Amino acid sequence: MSEHKRVETVEGKAGHPALCVLPEIEKEDELLEIMWTLREEGKLTLDQIVQSCTMEGCEDILKGLSKSGWIDVKDQAVELLPKGEKRARELVRRHRLSLRLFYDLFALDGAEAEACKFEHILSPEVTDSVCTLLGHPPNSPDGLPIPRGECCAMFKQEMKPLVAPLADLMPGERAKIVFITPESHSRLDRLSAMGVVPGSVVKLHQKRPAYVIQIGETMVAVDKDITKEIFVKKV
Amino acid sequence: MHDHGSNDGERYRDSHLNKVLLIGNPNVGKSALFGLLTGKYVTVSNYPGTTVEVTYGNAVLNKTRTLVIDTPGVNSLVPMSEDEKVTRDMLLTDRAGVVVQVADAKNLRRGLLITLQLSEMEVPFILDLNMDDEAKSRGIHVDQEKLSRLLGIEVVKTVATRRSGIDKLVKGIQHPRQSIAGVRYDDAIEAGVRDISVLLPGANIARRALALMVLAGDESLKGWLHANLKDHVIAEIEKVRQAVQSKFNNSLGYLINQRRIKKADEILTQVMSRHEAGNRSTIAYHLGRLSMHPVYGLPILLAVLYLVYQFVGVLGAGTAVNFLEKTVFGEYLNPWSTKIVDFIFPVPFMHELLVGDYGLITMALTYSIAIVLPIVGFFFIAFGVLEDSGYLPRLAVMVNKIFKIMGLNGKAVLPMILGLGCDTMATLTTRILETKKERILVTLLLALGVPCSAQLGVVLGMVSGISGFATAIWIGTVVLVMMLVGYLAAKIIPGEPSDFVLELPPIRVPQFTNILVKTMARVQWYLKEAVPLFILGTFILFVGHKIGALEYFQKLTDPLVVGLLGLPSRAAEAFVIGFLRRDYGAAGLFVMAKEGMLDPIQVVVSLVVITLFVPCIANFFVMVKERGMKAALYMVAFIFPFAFAVGGVLNWILRTLKVAL
Repeated sequence: MSEHKRVETVEGKAGHPALCVLPEIEKEDELLEIMWTLREEGKLTLDQIVQSCTMEGCEDILKGLSKSGWIDVKDQAVELLPKGEKRARELVRRHRLSLRLFYDLFALDGAEAEACKFEHILSPEVTDSVCTLLGHPPNSPDGLPIPRGECCAMFKQEMKPLVAPLADLMPGERAKIVFITPESHSRLDRLSAMGVVPGSVVKLHQKRPAYVIQIGETMVAVDKDITKEIFVKKV
Repeated sequence: MHDHGSNDGERYRDSHLNKVLLIGNPNVGKSALFGLLTGKYVTVSNYPGTTVEVTYGNAVLNKTRTLVIDTPGVNSLVPMSEDEKVTRDMLLTDRAGVVVQVADAKNLRRGLLITLQLSEMEVPFILDLNMDDEAKSRGIHVDQEKLSRLLGIEVVKTVATRRSGIDKLVKGIQHPRQSIAGVRYDDAIEAGVRDISVLLPGANIARRALALMVLAGDESLKGWLHANLKDHVIAEIEKVRQAVQSKFNNSLGYLINQRRIKKADEILTQVMSRHEAGNRSTIAYHLGRLSMHPVYGLPILLAVLYLVYQFVGVLGAGTAVNFLEKTVFGEYLNPWSTKIVDFIFPVPFMHELLVGDYGLITMALTYSIAIVLPIVGFFFIAFGVLEDSGYLPRLAVMVNKIFKIMGLNGKAVLPMILGLGCDTMATLTTRILETKKERILVTLLLALGVPCSAQLGVVLGMVSGISGFATAIWIGTVVLVMMLVGYLAAKIIPGEPSDFVLELPPIRVPQFTNILVKTMARVQWYLKEAVPLFILGTFILFVGHKIGALEYFQKLTDPLVVGLLGLPSRAAEAFVIGFLRRDYGAAGLFVMAKEGMLDPIQVVVSLVVITLFVPCIANFFVMVKERGMKAALYMVAFIFPFAFAVGGVLNWILRTLKVAL
């Protein structure tokens, strides 16, 4: 589908198979999200936005956003204004947290579509709860960073997270690795060569004098620091 | 212990023999297979990282003379430490032969990770599932035929320690094939592979594999790239790599590994079945758990030390040495040889040279065969049992925290404990450590404080003859000094400490034949390596004594030896030969103590000083080889004066406090 056609299409006419198609406000959300993602990739330009946008009436929505002070458009340069920045940030956070929720926890196939719906309905409180539940994950399943929320900074322990650091398991417990947030790249490479990757089931044997974990038939002794970076879900 | 004949490599490299290269994860039995195929013994133990060098051996396989090559184990062909790099470089630069991938049958998932990389390299190979017995006892069955179909290569099963399946393996070597198993990576990575491939030079392995290594950020590949490519091409490659990396949050190496594991898991679910009936809770399993238990681990450690002490210190250094020295040499060999020498060469000079106070027979051979050899032999047996049981890595778990003080982690226990066998070999084993800082630290500590078996035996024989307290002071001083030096050196030497990630092999019952063969190989090495130095040292003393240089030297060192250390003048002799081998120096002190020339404090002080000496000339050469001349000289220049300083301080404290030993 060419860009021109899309711009010409009047909003509301003939639906097309975009993942997230819904009312005006949600279309704005969609565009703000696209802008956030493009900025992460370092290619936030007007052309790119239009190219990435799969909805009808893209330019009108852009104009609307600009008029209401969400964004600032000058020729090709697009900038998120403070309140647009905040809105986009929360949206992306909700979207990517939802992805984690559906993908890792519920192991749903249509995680992307579900996440699209969810990002519009989660209230700030619920978002933080989900974030806590998941153990404040730093990135989404596709590896993109999840914007941090207040809950991440405070690291509340009130709610028992379903996903917790391996370090918090009790000796003898088994768990499935959900994600790893290594301090250094080489650490991750080394562990992955031994089979410590998301999806693997680990058993914690002991915590002192050093942590001993088992993956398959491999027993590995590791520092406590490392087990804090491996996030698991009990099985 | 010095049985990794690496130098043969140069000789073999260009010959047009058939070659078989053994490759696989650590501790899967490559060296055991190598021994079976070639009849040449290389150290086989039960912990990852026993082999740190490439070893070559000849064999006749399928009626063809074949060069078999044993390599250090790897978890990935993107190396993380020096020993892993050796293996990867073999594949990269050596002329192609047949690759035999040895995998642990019960741990196929990790083996497949290597299989997939060999497949990407497009080298022809076969897969050997070793330790099939252990897999069976754990209820794990691998469908060999199906695996063979999925991979498109020959798959055989063996139990190297029982020689089973070796015939099939040898037959299989005739039919190596390239594997058909492939991994598809993320589109961005695949595009990167394509872009980099066209820039790479030809090599023994496929460009795709090389490109993936580059993408994974393989630092160790840089040298090879610079030798084969122009700088601007390398810059170009790096640009592609960075462009691909910028698309991901995680490191490319990790993403690549993750895909490989996913593929391995796909294969695994099709070929592996598991009966839960496998008897997990064996005695060995529980013993393994207990040996690193926060509470029971310590008594087990003490029990192990006690047993080793009883075996080596009491039985070896006591009973066996007494028998050999007093009876065999004292009553028979020495009087006989004296008679024979005097009969054949009735000249006083020959008498003194061969059977005098500094006689090559009465001193060099008596020291090396009667005093040191039994101790070394007994130690090697005990050590072999410990190695093969799988206890050593568990010990590493116990002492990890203590080693952190010295800027190291538990993994450094392996070379340090190995140092108790032989510091020279142990210095080579520092290759298993990940950072340069750790390698320097361990090399220094080995050279400074870890007594090798020969010396340990002599020393224990001496101090335990005085009192347990004396033994404790000797051990305490050496350990304290090592911790202090380690702590300070860790502050001075730049670099980061690495993570503690250590694989723990299963606890196994040591095999009698392997212990026997291993001990024989090590004793042989001792005789070849140490005895000539003992003879050289004795000869130096003999000449020094003859021309009066020894007396002059003693006068020269009197302020140090007599003044600072409070030892008799003759102890200088022990220190002179201590420069060649410190166990020889210790043996000299042993004799002095037996002759009643040293009081308890003098024994302890002199032993502390000689323990802190550089182990031996051979050790110094290995230090130069591994760490470079400059670093080795710095270490030596620090160690010798420092050893005397510590001895002086200890002497002063013991005398001032009037400690009764």
